Amino acid sequence: MRKLSEVLHDWEAVIGLEVHTELTTLETKMFCGCRLSHDDPPNTNVCPICLGMPGALPVPNRKAIEYIVMAGIATNCEVMRRSMFYRKHYFYPDMAKNFQTTQGPVAFVMHGHLDLEIAGDGAKERPDGTIEKAIDGSYVAPIRILRIHMEEDAAKMVHVGGAEGRIGGASESLIDYNRCGTPLIELVTEPDLRTPEEARRFMEKLRQTFLTLGISDCSLEKGSMRCDGNVSLRRRGESGLGTKTELKNLNSFKSLHDALAYEICRQAEVLEAGGTVLQETRHWEPSRKRTVVMRVKETNDDYRFFPDPDLAPFDLSDEFIERCRARVPELPDTKRDRYVATWGLKRSDAAKLAGDPAVARRFEDASHGVKPQAVPMLANVMLNLVPAYKALTLLQITSITELLAADALSFSQARKVLEAVDGTGKMPLAVARDWGMLQSNDTEALAAVVDEVLGRCEAQVQQYRDGNKKVVGFLVGQCMKASKGAGNPKVFNQLLVQKLEG
Amino acid sequence: MALTKDDVAGIAEYARIALTEAELSDMTTYMNDAIDLLEPILGYDLDDVEPTFHPIGELANVARDDVPVAGLTLGEALANAASWRERSFLVPQILADGGAA
Amino acid sequence: MTSLDTLTARQIAAGIAAGDFTATEVAHAALDAISARDASTQAFLQVSENLALEAAAKTDAARAAGESLPPLAGVPVAFKDNMNLLGTRTTCASRMLETYESAYTATCVQRMLDAGATPLGKLNMDEFAFGSTTDSSAFHPTNNPWDITRVPGGSSGGSAAAVASGQVTLALGSDTGGSIRQPASLCGVVGMKPSYGAVSRYGVVAFGSSLDQAGPLGRSVEDVALAMNALTAGGRDRLDATSQNCAQDHLAHLEDPIEGRAVGIIPALLEAEGLASEVRTAILDAADKLASAGAHIVEVDLPNMASSIAAYYVLAPCEAFSNLARFDGVRYGYQEPRCTTLAEQSSLSRAHGFGPEAKRRQMLGAYLLSSGVYEKYYLAAQKVRTLITADYQRAFAQVDAILMPASPTVAWEHGAISDPAALYLADVFTISNNIAGNCGISVPVCLGADSGLPIGAQLQGPAFADAQLLTFARALERACHMEGIVAPAFAGKGGELA
Repeated sequence: MRKLSEVLHDWEAVIGLEVHTELTTLETKMFCGCRLSHDDPPNTNVCPICLGMPGALPVPNRKAIEYIVMAGIATNCEVMRRSMFYRKHYFYPDMAKNFQTTQGPVAFVMHGHLDLEIAGDGAKERPDGTIEKAIDGSYVAPIRILRIHMEEDAAKMVHVGGAEGRIGGASESLIDYNRCGTPLIELVTEPDLRTPEEARRFMEKLRQTFLTLGISDCSLEKGSMRCDGNVSLRRRGESGLGTKTELKNLNSFKSLHDALAYEICRQAEVLEAGGTVLQETRHWEPSRKRTVVMRVKETNDDYRFFPDPDLAPFDLSDEFIERCRARVPELPDTKRDRYVATWGLKRSDAAKLAGDPAVARRFEDASHGVKPQAVPMLANVMLNLVPAYKALTLLQITSITELLAADALSFSQARKVLEAVDGTGKMPLAVARDWGMLQSNDTEALAAVVDEVLGRCEAQVQQYRDGNKKVVGFLVGQCMKASKGAGNPKVFNQLLVQKLEG
Repeated sequence: MALTKDDVAGIAEYARIALTEAELSDMTTYMNDAIDLLEPILGYDLDDVEPTFHPIGELANVARDDVPVAGLTLGEALANAASWRERSFLVPQILADGGAA
Repeated sequence: MTSLDTLTARQIAAGIAAGDFTATEVAHAALDAISARDASTQAFLQVSENLALEAAAKTDAARAAGESLPPLAGVPVAFKDNMNLLGTRTTCASRMLETYESAYTATCVQRMLDAGATPLGKLNMDEFAFGSTTDSSAFHPTNNPWDITRVPGGSSGGSAAAVASGQVTLALGSDTGGSIRQPASLCGVVGMKPSYGAVSRYGVVAFGSSLDQAGPLGRSVEDVALAMNALTAGGRDRLDATSQNCAQDHLAHLEDPIEGRAVGIIPALLEAEGLASEVRTAILDAADKLASAGAHIVEVDLPNMASSIAAYYVLAPCEAFSNLARFDGVRYGYQEPRCTTLAEQSSLSRAHGFGPEAKRRQMLGAYLLSSGVYEKYYLAAQKVRTLITADYQRAFAQVDAILMPASPTVAWEHGAISDPAALYLADVFTISNNIAGNCGISVPVCLGADSGLPIGAQLQGPAFADAQLLTFARALERACHMEGIVAPAFAGKGGELA
């Protein structure tokens, strides 16, 4: 197969995503009062309603509807006042009623968009000339969202007797209804994505947005956020749509990207050999880096949709919508821009901090404990040091930041100090002082080290005096060694130059 | 246009109702008779009429608070199941794939 | 010595409160009546002796403790077998649910128990409520207490027969297209289909979710009104998203005069093909009696009523297909043994668990909901529903209630009508009421001039005017002198209260 970049030079990929997100931060299921179970034993959190027992009726979870409206507002969707739940029928025992309660033509929120900033190597996937790019090669891709609708998740099935729990070859299946009825929102994009990187970035941005809203733990790994991709190809310059395939098992950002990249190349190969792409569902096998056919769709499934008579329609009030709007917190893009404007952070650092609400919250809390000019160093600490440790306190973070910002410690010293204080109440300043690291800025103490080094490195001193100024680097190294790494290399440098010039 | 036996067999397959050959014939007759009975509603011009999916007047926005309620014990959940193993409901081999969510 | 079947619900509760007899004695009398009478009527599918005696003992203990007793204390009641009651099976008269143990109690059942009623058991019905004879029960037919060679009507035939034969004082039924009112008419009892949303549907096995409504059957309007108080007490059921708060005292205006108020009749309907002349005569006579009580009889028209059968036979099968899809033998219900694949297991479990009419309705629904067909029939039917509802609104702007038959004929012999489509047409007087979500009640007005069998007159009222409808029903009852009647072959047979 040809490389993605070559294929995309000749072909335009048309990609749409369907993203299912479980509202894991709710207490209860969509239509009954069962607790949401995360790792509970099978069939622990079930009741007549989510088991679809005869006579049981659904009543929607109001907070789930607040959450989906918030999700819509955060993705620039229009809130549809009037909508209804529908029944979608298919006989499969992961849905206890043999229908799924979902929404019909009108979803709670529709017609939104997310603007993606694509930069770095990923931006190169999009051939020049197909979109306006900045000098550094980055570009902004506006991606329209068709709708986000509310539905309920299915039960978990374990297939036994076959290989790896897969359905093919299994002799029987076990059903656990704990997950059945978990509130689920399904976002459907317009087919506006053009590269695997754009798809990956869309998913990443959506995840950051939903995490910031606090509506889900958004775990791709555990399946609380799941993505299917639709992709078709057309010759550059054409406007019709080719036959699309649907990709499943995209349970990491890398899988999403790599599966789409593979599928684009596969389809190009089929088309270039004069073949036709079949409308089919394909499964991504990450270990073998390929997609395989799950099933061929010959006709569209007929789900016998009709409005659920058990559920009163919705006619959302202004008050309800405004209450949801007020609950939407500052979103990652706005937060990033504020970090740049307030503290002069690097845009990429600011974006990383703003993208994870837990990190952003800690960063902002810590920012109150350091001098304003030390905040960029705090960002550095948050992104490059903190994640390596288990349980650093806010005070430990601000303390190490101040030491680094004042050049009192090197990064390698800081790592050693943090290792020692992690999970204890000890303060980095105290540990660094105890270990003698803080003498490093003490000019008198360091001057003694410099004298000792100059004394035994006569040859290098001579070289310097002969004009080889670079040799000072070697001498700084010797000083660092002599001070067991505790000295500040900048101070050593200054002292050495003073003495050698003097 | 009347439903054929093949049409009815397709519906039966979808609706998971196995029919014998004789039942299929009777069912086809029944379905066509029943559809004839529906004739009166086809004579209307309904372009400007809103459907009434819920005969509940203006009632809307019925929802509940996100508060847990005790459900069934495992024993109660499995009590009416003909096939189960340990903590789970049990079904035989599934050939077709499925699961729309 | 008094026979229990001569007492009204209010008299039973009052007798227990006064210490004339205990709830336990009443329960034993009811159990005795059932054992003496039900071999002939076959109204019951299960008799819940233990539950009855436990509930009665609780009532007696409450009285002994000096507590004030609830309004239906000790009153014998039984439930259509599509209503869940913990401690009983809920079979829907189907092989599919032959061994199904209720996992919880339906709200309407619980509210009757909360009002102090003593639960005697579960009553026969057409399988999954599909029918108007009770002959489609998978277990046995039920016989009309007025003539046991005849059907009691349906689908709540067991409920009507149990009340008409004096085995229980009150019963609950469910009405999707006339399934309370028609058997009430055929068995000579009062049967009320409340407004859609007035009584919770939670725990009543669904047939047509936008049409179903549970309601009471009794031997007097007052008993039915007492049951309506119990069913609506506590207001809206939070477990049913379509239920509304209808709590009120349905007895408060029961005896109000109807003088000067308007009752509608639909002349065209009384000329309907298939309407028995004795029924027509009975309805015209009922109109005269209401007029004698001071009501204005006003001619009204429901122009789209002729389409109601067609609309109903779109909506009801579609909803039934959807509601019955869950019966696949996996979580509960009949499971075909020795199947090697899931599809085979589901298809055979459903083929062998469901009777013919249940399969017919689901097949029809599955067809009508399919893509391309949905718009032609389902969507159209929901729009015709809007027109029918508007017809009623216009009519109810002129009148407080509309009088019509509940059934075109008196009870017929078992097996006399076998063509399903012909049976569907017999629902013409009842189903438009379900389509519009209004309230309706059948009140016995006379024994037919030709047949000697009971005939009920149906009164329909606007949605949520249930109490007002009961006032008209009571006025008709006062004029007709059919109150409290037990079918003669059964009156006083067993069920003596010492």
